[in-house]
Amino acid sequence: MHKVLSDKRTILLLVLPGLLIYTFAILFPIILSVYLGMTDWSGIGRPNFIGLENFKKIIFTDTTFWKSLRNAILLALAYVFVQHPIALAFAIFIDKVGGRAEKVFRTIFFIPCVIPVVVTSRMWVSLYDPQYGLINKILDFLHLGFLKQQWLGDTKTALISVIIICMWQGFGWALLIYYAGLKGIPEELYEAARIDGATGVKLYTKITVPLLQPVIKVNFTIAIIYALKQMETVYLTTNGGPGDASQFLANYLYIRAFNSYQYGYANAISVLFVIACLAVNVLFQKIFKSENYEF
Amino acid sequence: MSKKALKVVVSVMLIAALIVSVFGLVQGNLTASASTQKTVKIKFLSNLPDRTSNQGKLEQMLIDSYMKANPNVKIEVEALQDEPYKQKFKVYVATNQMPDIFMVWGQPSFFLPVMKAGYAAEIKLDQIKGYGFKTSSLKDFMYNGKLYGLPRNTDFMVLYYNKGLFNKYKVKVPTTFNELLNAAKVFRKNGIAPIAINGKDKWILAILYQELVVKESGDQKLIYDAISKKSVSKNQILLKAAKDLVNLVNVGGFQDAFVAADYGAANNLFAQEKAAMYYMGSWEVGMAANPNFSESFKKNVDATYFPIISGGKGKKTDILAWHGGGYAVSASSKVKNEAMKLLLYMMHPTRWAKIGWQQGLVVPGQNWEKFMTGKETVLQKKLTQIFSSATSVSGTVWQDAFTPNFKTEAETLCQMLVAKAITPEKFLAKIEELAKLEVK
Repeated sequence: MHKVLSDKRTILLLVLPGLLIYTFAILFPIILSVYLGMTDWSGIGRPNFIGLENFKKIIFTDTTFWKSLRNAILLALAYVFVQHPIALAFAIFIDKVGGRAEKVFRTIFFIPCVIPVVVTSRMWVSLYDPQYGLINKILDFLHLGFLKQQWLGDTKTALISVIIICMWQGFGWALLIYYAGLKGIPEELYEAARIDGATGVKLYTKITVPLLQPVIKVNFTIAIIYALKQMETVYLTTNGGPGDASQFLANYLYIRAFNSYQYGYANAISVLFVIACLAVNVLFQKIFKSENYEF
Repeated sequence: MSKKALKVVVSVMLIAALIVSVFGLVQGNLTASASTQKTVKIKFLSNLPDRTSNQGKLEQMLIDSYMKANPNVKIEVEALQDEPYKQKFKVYVATNQMPDIFMVWGQPSFFLPVMKAGYAAEIKLDQIKGYGFKTSSLKDFMYNGKLYGLPRNTDFMVLYYNKGLFNKYKVKVPTTFNELLNAAKVFRKNGIAPIAINGKDKWILAILYQELVVKESGDQKLIYDAISKKSVSKNQILLKAAKDLVNLVNVGGFQDAFVAADYGAANNLFAQEKAAMYYMGSWEVGMAANPNFSESFKKNVDATYFPIISGGKGKKTDILAWHGGGYAVSASSKVKNEAMKLLLYMMHPTRWAKIGWQQGLVVPGQNWEKFMTGKETVLQKKLTQIFSSATSVSGTVWQDAFTPNFKTEAETLCQMLVAKAITPEKFLAKIEELAKLEVK
């Protein structure tokens, strides 16, 4: 058996199916995208090679591209600095509650994640409706009428409104991952810390957060990738509008490909999109470089 | 019976059963393949997902009657809303799997690249002799002097309004832009949305802008010429029209958050009598006969010309009209002749035009006056009167008259204008920039 497995031809044969699938499903489309990004193809007829023209246009003159990238990064920051601290706090709270309440809360928080995005997006469009939407109605009820907004219909509030929807939709996932991480921290550590005199918040800052570092890292990475890939919620709520106020990269390249018939240009955006994703992730890994705690 | 004998009997029975079933299977296959030889499958891609009212109902009716008359033909319909339709269409084009017959918008921004690339089959003019198509209606379905599609409706813009709400609040149906602004103020005060509009879809905003340009100038060609010559930013009429549009937004002329409202939302707002007016095209003629709408609404719905502008040169009879939707047959279809037969069957004037008009489902692209019975709904009569009184028509609307990207960008700029993300001056400057990039 060992002889067979150390034979290079056998190894190649065993790896071949996976390699073929990877080549044709991932590698080849990426190469094709790079090539098409260098053409003026409209999706109909034959593509003409134009070199780096599309890339130049996107980088130097396409303000919507940069706005879309900025919005995606803002969403990523909102995930990391707003959604995740709250999700972690709630995970700790659920972990501490115990018993039947723990199961109930866990289920409640996870509900948005199992409802299709189409449904939750439509629901939020109704909530945000300035006339019959619940949000403005509540503000009226609380005598805070001056805070009423047109939410998705105003350039000043559309982006933040979309970001709130995205945070709400993904909250359950973030919470669940933290919750699973918390379950992996042995109770003895807390007991030992308590004996040493640690109390309250210190227990969490000195034990929970450091020991959750690998989980936090994974969770942040997932959140950032999700933010950069954001498409369906935007498409279903504002479609990037008003104008391009709430435009995101994936939706923008989709509009370029399918509405403007600029397949070549859209492919160039997708290539830059991949580069941006990789750059953000590399940067993030560098920031988060730390030792893992053993326990 | 000994064990051995039993085994033999059981074996024989099993073998017999096996032979019979295999024989049956082969027979079945033979008959099936014999019948598939005769069965013709036609794939039909439509942009009318609602098959119970308006044009969708008509389309389905004619498809069903064709299948009834030709039992060997099976028509598979795939129907999607406008935007998903455009995307799916592109996917079919990119993968070279065109449906046998498909809906097209007879506009350069959509159909010209399709015709140029040879995806649509030619329709000989002899084939549609006596069909009642005006030559002007076929213009945008033609390329290099050859015809590639047939228009199914006459599209023109009107201002629908709710008589009941106008009476209730004692508001005069607006004939001038100032009256429209005043009407908007009164309705706003009473918690009624003045004009329902689907601002999220953008195209309607661009059309409304052109409406104002025409009412300001009285010149249907002005906007096209300005874009073709790339002299947009200095044009005072174009600037005035942009300011009119912003003015209408400023007085609260549209429902709240209209920029985020899609077609369904705007349509519902008007149909539920929560909006007094609805700026939309003649394809909504079926509203007055739609079983999904309340009797009160159907009794109250009416249509009028878009108001003129005091000081403007445009008349109320200068209307925006074009032949938008239509059908084409795939050039690469394996059942091209059958698909063509179906298209010619559907578009025969005694079917699409006559049935569609008499059932109040469509304003056809063919001559429909000869099919009038006197039993038409108020909307049908009013739309007929508006169209037949037109002193000038626009043809393909401005955003559709150039490239697909011009359309996307121009519509986005119109949305930015009404959302006040850009000033009217900046709007024109951006349109000019766009024209320089996109218009050869």
